[in-house]
Amino acid sequence: GSMSGALRVVWRWARGGGGRALSQAATGTTGDSGAQGGGGSGGSGSREAVERLVRAHPVVVFMKGSPAQPQCGFSNAVVQILRLHGVEDYRAHDVLQDPDLRQGIKDYSNWPTIPQVYLNGEFVGGCDILLQMHQNGDLVEELKKLGIRSALLDAEKDQDKK
Amino acid sequence: RSFTSQTDGEARVSRVLREKFPRASTIKVVDISGGCGAMYEIHIESEEFREKRTVQQHQMVNQALSEEIKMMHGLRIFTSTPK
Repeated sequence: GSMSGALRVVWRWARGGGGRALSQAATGTTGDSGAQGGGGSGGSGSREAVERLVRAHPVVVFMKGSPAQPQCGFSNAVVQILRLHGVEDYRAHDVLQDPDLRQGIKDYSNWPTIPQVYLNGEFVGGCDILLQMHQNGDLVEELKKLGIRSALLDAEKDQDKK
Repeated sequence: RSFTSQTDGEARVSRVLREKFPRASTIKVVDISGGCGAMYEIHIESEEFREKRTVQQHQMVNQALSEEIKMMHGLRIFTSTPK
């Protein structure tokens, strides 16, 4: 379906831009060496640590801010799309709280931006891809594979009844 | 907006994409940060994307622009294959 009113507001917010460049953002606010290259074994940005996080739950999101209070329009878009599908039970990790994780997740997926969405431990993409999946029906199918019934299926059923 | 009013950033990103995707039929780069070079929206249609999942197509664009992306705050990518 077309973008809901909530998502339209999100896109206007996202266009505000501003903030640090991706290379600066990658090193974190303190610029310490721990933020480089994901750190040593056991660090929160290490490959092992990230692997544990992405496998911890069928739906895992790395974002700026929290689902209750997103700090970026693109992260908010991911939260809103999941909400539209009735997916409220998922793991969300605020990379703004953890510079090592912020860099580590980018190294892990070899993807330069946040948010990042993982379904069943597999990197699916950022908010543009999730939006595309939402619009073309792929997200409903992918959720079904995880044993999650999208709320939109019930919404359609209600419409058919009218 | 006419072609001649392209920003330097848009021109540079377009040039890199044309080099890295020689078979691209359409490349459109728009600075969506008001000309600040902070955020770009990229549309690219190419035979090179055929049979690849969207996330793989976006990865190809990420790799092609790995240097330019370091200077950006964010980017939006829309890939497609010719009909």
